[in-house]
Amino acid sequence: MYKLKWICLVAAFFGGFASVGAQSTYELWHYYAAGSELAGINALISYANKQNPDAQIIGRIIPGNVIEMRRQLQTAFLGGKPPAVYQSSMASELKTFVEGGRLHPLTDIWNKIHGDQIFPEGVQRVVKIAGVPYGVPYDFSLINNVFYNKAIFAKIGLTPPTDWNGLVSTCDALRKAGIQPLGNAGGPFWSLYNFYAALVSTVGIDGYYKIANGELAFDGPEFRKALDLYRNTMVKSYAKNWSGKTWTQAADDVINGNTGMVMMGIWVAGYFKHAGFEAGKQFDVFPAPGTEGKVIFQMDVFAVPEGPKASVEAAEKFITAASSVEGQQTFAVLKGSLAPNVNVDPSVYDYAGAKFAKQLVAASKANAVLPNLFFLLPTNVGSELGNQIERFAIDPSDNTEKEMISTLEPLRKEALSANAYTKW
Amino acid sequence: MVGLKAHAGSPRNCVRSPSKTSSQKASRFELSGIRATHLLLLALPISIFVIFYVIPIFSTFYLSLFNWDGVSKTKHFIGLQNYSALLFEPRFYHALLNNIVWLIFMLIAPTGLGLTLAAILDRGLKGEGFFRIIFFLPFTIPAVAVAAIWRWMYEPTNGLLTRFLETFGLSWAAQNWLGDPHVVNFAIMGAVLWWTTGFAFLVFFSGLRNIPVDCIEAARIEGATAWQVFWKISFPLLWPSTIIVLGMSAIDAMRLFDIVWAMTNGGPAHASEVLATQMYDVAFGRFEMGRASAIAVYLLLIAGVIILPYIYYMSLRVQHREAE
Repeated sequence: MYKLKWICLVAAFFGGFASVGAQSTYELWHYYAAGSELAGINALISYANKQNPDAQIIGRIIPGNVIEMRRQLQTAFLGGKPPAVYQSSMASELKTFVEGGRLHPLTDIWNKIHGDQIFPEGVQRVVKIAGVPYGVPYDFSLINNVFYNKAIFAKIGLTPPTDWNGLVSTCDALRKAGIQPLGNAGGPFWSLYNFYAALVSTVGIDGYYKIANGELAFDGPEFRKALDLYRNTMVKSYAKNWSGKTWTQAADDVINGNTGMVMMGIWVAGYFKHAGFEAGKQFDVFPAPGTEGKVIFQMDVFAVPEGPKASVEAAEKFITAASSVEGQQTFAVLKGSLAPNVNVDPSVYDYAGAKFAKQLVAASKANAVLPNLFFLLPTNVGSELGNQIERFAIDPSDNTEKEMISTLEPLRKEALSANAYTKW
Repeated sequence: MVGLKAHAGSPRNCVRSPSKTSSQKASRFELSGIRATHLLLLALPISIFVIFYVIPIFSTFYLSLFNWDGVSKTKHFIGLQNYSALLFEPRFYHALLNNIVWLIFMLIAPTGLGLTLAAILDRGLKGEGFFRIIFFLPFTIPAVAVAAIWRWMYEPTNGLLTRFLETFGLSWAAQNWLGDPHVVNFAIMGAVLWWTTGFAFLVFFSGLRNIPVDCIEAARIEGATAWQVFWKISFPLLWPSTIIVLGMSAIDAMRLFDIVWAMTNGGPAHASEVLATQMYDVAFGRFEMGRASAIAVYLLLIAGVIILPYIYYMSLRVQHREAE
């Protein structure tokens, strides 16, 4: 009897292993932990699972952001148990994992979904490494818009500015009326995203890509000119104590009328909506000076680690569903972002979303869809650029500029000699 | 009987005795059984120590000798280059300096405040139990929650602290708490003071309650003032508590990570960065696992240089005291 009990236990133990081996559900790792983001990804998973009953995907939240995702992935790769599919940033992020031999090429699936037709050219650039697609876009946000409080603008008699002089005079008028002009938030991303407008204004699209490729030096006249423009327009107009705020606190300041404007990614429209601050009535949006007719975007993609055949096939089935018009629309509408698939009907979006979609269509036609520079640069150069621009925005003195350039330029040269730059 | 004598006199003799009676065999079995039990009981903690402490230390040192992004299947051996490169990085020195400032702060502020609160409460005030809970409560809150609370307190426009200062006409004292590179470290220290004082308080308070009443009564009868009683009697007898509090504070200062990361990510512009947050950023934010491992090894060495002599010295003092 005793022996039988042991045999049963051992059988159950190995039976458990066997059932793990015959896996029929696969994990999608993401860091959408709450709110509209989580609702969006859950809806997308449900939609894809309905399309693929034989390859069920389970969402697993990795709390934090891209850094925590990297940490979790590194451990998973070392342990040989990565997820079937995960949320990844674009460009350099993908490149690191591709060069590490960790990602599965998505050429077949890309051809199947007609990736070259359904995604804009600027988007395609940052998911292909050496011409091979390794990520499929699904979460697309513009980061070159300025959001403003309509009631404040109406009260002071202001109209949305269309150039840098207009922005400065609008900010002056707001300050004169006792309102902080332009909101911003602390951290290495937000000031950098604001700076892109000044950078594109100065160096143009070609120059932007030259910086991304390492061809344009940080100690050259173009970059210094862009810094000057940024200093004399946005930096001098930033709200008091901006660097001590999070982006949601900066958004709250626009809602409660402490600040007239804030330049932020379009996710802030979702935040406003959630707070009952209505698009078109209480707030509106205009492209930052120098970015009219262009869009600068931040995007997440689905990447597939190398793994067992069944896992890769399940991931590919999921991606097929996620890149379809229905899948893209399901996620984007709930999350409050844009669908990178150009076939998604703009009428599915609300007032703000429709405006962003229109910007994207126009920019796509003009071939002016620019990826976030942070992810185009080698990771350490991008991180340091973000850090240095924040430092410059806090203290825009000549000394800070000098120190900033003397930090960034050697990094650029080091990355060039290490062949770390990519021609996107 | 012979066996019993041998056993009582020397266990080794008992084991080595050539004439093995049944009682000798039994006691040998018993002894080896005890020894095996001891070894078994020791095996678990030793294994845990080796697996989770010793191996990771050697593994970290090994990684620090490579140029590795943490993702690739191959690593490029570069010897001690990661160590030498760090010696030329101002960012590294800035974080190190922050750690040293934190060490000084942790040894003085929460310890001093905890001792003061314990001494006040030890005087038999009304509501002692209530205050004991109030003082200790913050220490039970996880670091991330403390960070979230204080992020809101420190919001520079509408935060509680700024509003409080404005209400009392002290708006000139309101700062950009977490956004000013010159202020941010002090702001985080404020949060940590609120958070960790409870630990020092509790240890000192229990230490004070363990001091023999006779000593204090005798001093009072001799005419000692409360101040003299505290400094001449209570404080010297609080030595074991002080050892614990100072030791733990020093260790906390060197391994400081969670509260800084959760409040500022080491920002703005690296201003509040300490070595542990820098290590994390370099490893996962910049894909430089080898460089990050070198930071970890430096941190271990620096912490060892600072903390180990203290622990050694304090252990000796405790031994001497026990011997007395």
